[in-house]
Amino acid sequence: MDIIRKERALSIVTKLKSYSYRRLLLSLIILGGFGFVRIPIEMNTEKMLKEQGFRDWSPSMSAREQLTQASFVGSIGGFRSLIASIYDLRAHQAFRDKDWASVEKFRGVTTSLQPRFAKHWDLAAWDLAWNAYAYYRNKSEWAEDGVESWQMKNIMMPRYLEKGLEFAKQGAEWVPESYRLSMVVADIYSQKYNDPELASQWYLKSSQADDAPPYVFRAYATHLARCEGKEEKAYEVTSSLYRSTRFGTRALTLTVRRDMERLEDHIALSAANKMSLEQLESAALSNGSTYLDYAKLGMHLLEVKKDLKATLAVYREIVNDKNAPLFYSRKLLMLLARNPANQEQAYEALKKLLKRSPEIFRRQDLIEFTKLETSLGASKNNREK
Amino acid sequence: MSADKVKSVKDDLVLQHKLFSLSRVWAIAFNTFTQLVRMKVFYFMLIFSVLIIGANFLFLNFTFEQELKILKDVSFGAMTLFASIFSIVGTALLIPKDIEDRTLYTILTKPVPRFEYLVGKLIGIIFLVAVSLVLMSFLFFAVLYFRQHGILAEEIKMIRGGATDAQKEYLKETIFAQGVRPELILGVLAVFLKAAVAAGVALVVSTFASSTLFTIIVSLVVYFIGHAQSLALEYYFPEGQIHGALQRFIAGIVAVVFPNLQMFNIFDGLITGQSISTTLMFRLIGLTGFYLTIYSMISWILFAKKEL
Amino acid sequence: MMAEEIIPAVQINNLTKIFPVPFRKEKVIAVEDLSLRVEAGEVYGLIGPNGSGKSTTMKVLLGLISATSGSSAIFGLSSSETASRGSVGFLPENPYFYKYLTGAETLSFYGKLCGLSRRKIKERTSELLSLVDLENARDRRLGGYSKGMLQRIGLAQALVGDPRLVVLDEPTAGVDPAGSRKIRDLIIEFKQRGISVILSSHLLEQVQEVCDKVGIIFQGKLVKEGKLEELIEIESQTEIILEHADPKILDQINKLVQASEETRLLRSGKPKTTLERLFLKETRAESEDVRKDA
Repeated sequence: MDIIRKERALSIVTKLKSYSYRRLLLSLIILGGFGFVRIPIEMNTEKMLKEQGFRDWSPSMSAREQLTQASFVGSIGGFRSLIASIYDLRAHQAFRDKDWASVEKFRGVTTSLQPRFAKHWDLAAWDLAWNAYAYYRNKSEWAEDGVESWQMKNIMMPRYLEKGLEFAKQGAEWVPESYRLSMVVADIYSQKYNDPELASQWYLKSSQADDAPPYVFRAYATHLARCEGKEEKAYEVTSSLYRSTRFGTRALTLTVRRDMERLEDHIALSAANKMSLEQLESAALSNGSTYLDYAKLGMHLLEVKKDLKATLAVYREIVNDKNAPLFYSRKLLMLLARNPANQEQAYEALKKLLKRSPEIFRRQDLIEFTKLETSLGASKNNREK
Repeated sequence: MSADKVKSVKDDLVLQHKLFSLSRVWAIAFNTFTQLVRMKVFYFMLIFSVLIIGANFLFLNFTFEQELKILKDVSFGAMTLFASIFSIVGTALLIPKDIEDRTLYTILTKPVPRFEYLVGKLIGIIFLVAVSLVLMSFLFFAVLYFRQHGILAEEIKMIRGGATDAQKEYLKETIFAQGVRPELILGVLAVFLKAAVAAGVALVVSTFASSTLFTIIVSLVVYFIGHAQSLALEYYFPEGQIHGALQRFIAGIVAVVFPNLQMFNIFDGLITGQSISTTLMFRLIGLTGFYLTIYSMISWILFAKKEL
Repeated sequence: MMAEEIIPAVQINNLTKIFPVPFRKEKVIAVEDLSLRVEAGEVYGLIGPNGSGKSTTMKVLLGLISATSGSSAIFGLSSSETASRGSVGFLPENPYFYKYLTGAETLSFYGKLCGLSRRKIKERTSELLSLVDLENARDRRLGGYSKGMLQRIGLAQALVGDPRLVVLDEPTAGVDPAGSRKIRDLIIEFKQRGISVILSSHLLEQVQEVCDKVGIIFQGKLVKEGKLEELIEIESQTEIILEHADPKILDQINKLVQASEETRLLRSGKPKTTLERLFLKETRAESEDVRKDA
C-alpha cells in the first residue's frame, strides 16, 4: 500500500520538476538586470528607427479606433503593411459599391497605417476628389427632386472635393520627396477649383522633386501663364521653356508656343499703353535691345498711333532677328494683308508659311486666312468677269 | 585490475573531458535540424508557394504599386509567420519531448554539459529557421523579379503608339523601385532576428515548463506582449505626460521582463522605400546576440540542476 | 592499507534522496542512507521491487538528479561533474530514441557526443551493429524498430564510447528470453574485458547467473548485500545429482542416509529443467530445423 502511494507521489513530483527557488530568483535578477541594461539601448534604437522613418504609425493614433481588434494586434505584430493592403482592398470594394463613407474611412486607415507609401494618399485623393465627386455630380444632374439635387451639388460634391484635397495635401507633407502628391494637389486646384494660381504653386513644388517627369514643369508654366498679373514671371518661365530644346515633342510644345505668343502680346500691349513713343523708340534703338522691345514699339504704333506702315517696318526688323519666334512672320504677313495692294503677295507667302509651319497658326489666324482666301478668290472672279 | 590502472582512469577522464566542445554542440544542433527536417516541416514551402503565387492572380486590375505591394506584404507576412511558428513550436516541441521520452537521459549521461545541450538545441532550431527563410526568400525574389518584368512589359504595351526610350526608362525605374531591391534582404534578416529571439524565449520557457502545450502558450503570450513593448515604454518614459505611479510601475515591469520584438518590425518601412542605416542594422544584430546570450544563460541556470 | 587506495568504479556513500511534494509539507523519501561500492571489473546487481529506489540511485549516480545528502562518484569523480560521465554507458529502462534517425545515425550521433573521431565512429558503428545483431536494420529508421530492437540499439548506444562502466536499468524488461540471454552473454563479455557493470532488475533469476555481487534494495534502503553464492546457498543442505543412476545404488544411498542420525532425505526424483531453459532449447532446435530445411 505504502509503496504504491509513494510511487504515485514520485511520478507526480518528477513531472512537476522540482527546481530550486534560489535559481529561479537568480534568473529573475539576471532578467531584470539585463532589462535595465538593454532598455536604454533599445530606446535609443527606437529613436533611430523613428528618425529613419520606420515608426510613422503610432498605435495610439486615432486610426486605431477604426481598426478591428485583429487588425490592431496584427499591426503591432509586424503585419502592418499587410493589414494596410487588406484595407486597401476593402476600400476598393467600397469604391465598387459606391459606398463613399466607407471609402473615406478605409483610405484613412491605409494612409495612417503606412503614411510614407505615396500610392495610399494618391488613391485616397483620387477616390474622393474624382470618383466620389463625379458620382454626386451625375446624381445631382439626374435627380428629379430639386432639393436633393441642390444638396448633392452644394454639400456632397464640395465635401468630397475638400476631403480629397486634404488627403493629397497630407500625403505631400508625408512624402515630400515624391512629385506625385503635390501634383495631385495641383491637379485638384486646376481641374476642380479652376484656380491656376494655387495650381501653379503646387506644380512648381511637384516639379522640384527629383523624380518629377518634365511635364510637371510644363504644367507649372501653363498654369502660371494663366494667372493674371503674373505675366512677367510667366513669360520668363515660358520663354526659357520655349528655348530649351530638351523638352518634349512638337505637340507638347504647342501650348508653350501659344502661351509664349499670348504673353509676348500681353507684355507688348501693356508697354505700348503705358509708355510714350519716344521712350519706346529709344528703348528699341538702345544697345542690347531685343526683338521684344521692337514688338512693344510695333504694338504702340499699331494700337495707339494706328500707323500701319510704321508698324510694318518695325515688324520687318523683328522678323530679321534670329531670336524672334516664327509667329512674328505670320503676324507681319497678316498685317501686310490689311493693305489691299499687298493682299495677293501676302496670301501667297502665308500659304507657304502654313504649309511649312502649321503649328504657328492659331484658330483665329486660320479663320482670317480663310477669309483672305475667299475675298481674294472673289476679286479674282470679278476681274476675270 | 591494479590500483594504478584505476587511478589512471580518473586522470584520463579529467584530462580528456573538454569543458566546452563545439563539435558536441554541433552534433546536437545538427541532430535537431535533421529531426525537424524529417518531421517534414519543409512541406510548409508548398503553402508558401501557393500563397505568394496566388497573391499574384488575386488583384489583376490594380495599379502596379498595389500589385507589387500585396505580393511583398503577403510574402513577408508568411515569412514572419512561418519563422516565428518554427522557432516557438520547434523549441517547444523538441525539448519537452526529449524530457518526456527520456531521450535526454541518454544524451546527458554522455559527457555532455547541460549548457551544450541547450545551446545545441537553440542553434539547431535557429539554423532551421535560417534555412527556411533562405528558401522562402529565393522563391519570393524569383516571383517578384518575374512579376516586375511582367508588369513593365504590360505597361509598355499600354502606351499608345509605342513607348519612347525615355518613357521605357522612366517606367522601368518607377516599377523596379517597387520590385527587387537589396533592402528587402535586410527585411528578411530582421524577420530572422525576431524569430531567433522568439526561439530564445521558448528555450527559457521550456526549461521550466513541463509540457509542450504550456511552452507554446507561454511563449506565444510573451511573443505578443513583446510586440506591445513599445507601448509599455511609452507609458514608462512618457514625453511630457505623467501617468499614475502604478501604471508606470506595471509598464516598467513589462518592459524589463519582456523582450522588445517591435524593434524588428522594419519591413513596413522598407516597403515604402525607407532605407535603414548600417549602424541600426548592426544594432539589431547585436541586440539579438545579447538576448540570446542572456536567454541561454537563464535557461542554463534553470536547467543546470533540474531533476530529470 | 593498499585497499584504501584502490578507486572503485562506483562509490556511493550514505546517499539520501528526498523529493519534495510541491504545495505540501510531506516529503517522499526515495532513497535513504544508501551506500554501495562496485569494484573495477565487477558486475553488480541491484534488485528490488518497483519503486524501491533502484532508478533513483542510478539517476543520482549519473548526475541526472542531485542527492539530498551523501555522495556518489564514478572512478573517483563526483557525479556532479560532467567529466565523471566520460567513460560511462547508460541504458535506461524502456529506452526511447529519436525515431527519425536510422540505427547507424543514432550510433553516430552518440559517438559524436562522446567526442569520437569520424573514423572511429564509423568503425564503432559497424562493430556495435553486428554485436547487437542489427546490421540488417542499419539504415532503417528507429520508428520502425520493435521493442527488442530498441533495447539492443540502446545497448549499442551505451557502448559506443568504449565505456569502462556500464549502467543498465532493467535491461531485460520486456525482452523475450532469447534477447535476455543475449544481454546476459554480453554482460559476461563485458566482465571478461574488465568493464564494470551495474544493473538493476526486479526479476531475481536473471541476475543470478551474471552478478558477482548483489544488493537488495527495499523502500529506499539497501537491506542485504554480498556475493551471490554466499547470499543464496543454504548451508545445512547438500545436493547430489546423478546421471544414469542404477536403482541399486539409489537404494544403497537411501540406506546410508537412514543409518545416519542427523541426515534426512528431503527430496529425490528427476531434476527439472527451468521453463526458460526449455524454451531456449526448443526454439533453438526449431530454428536449426528451419535452417536444415532451407
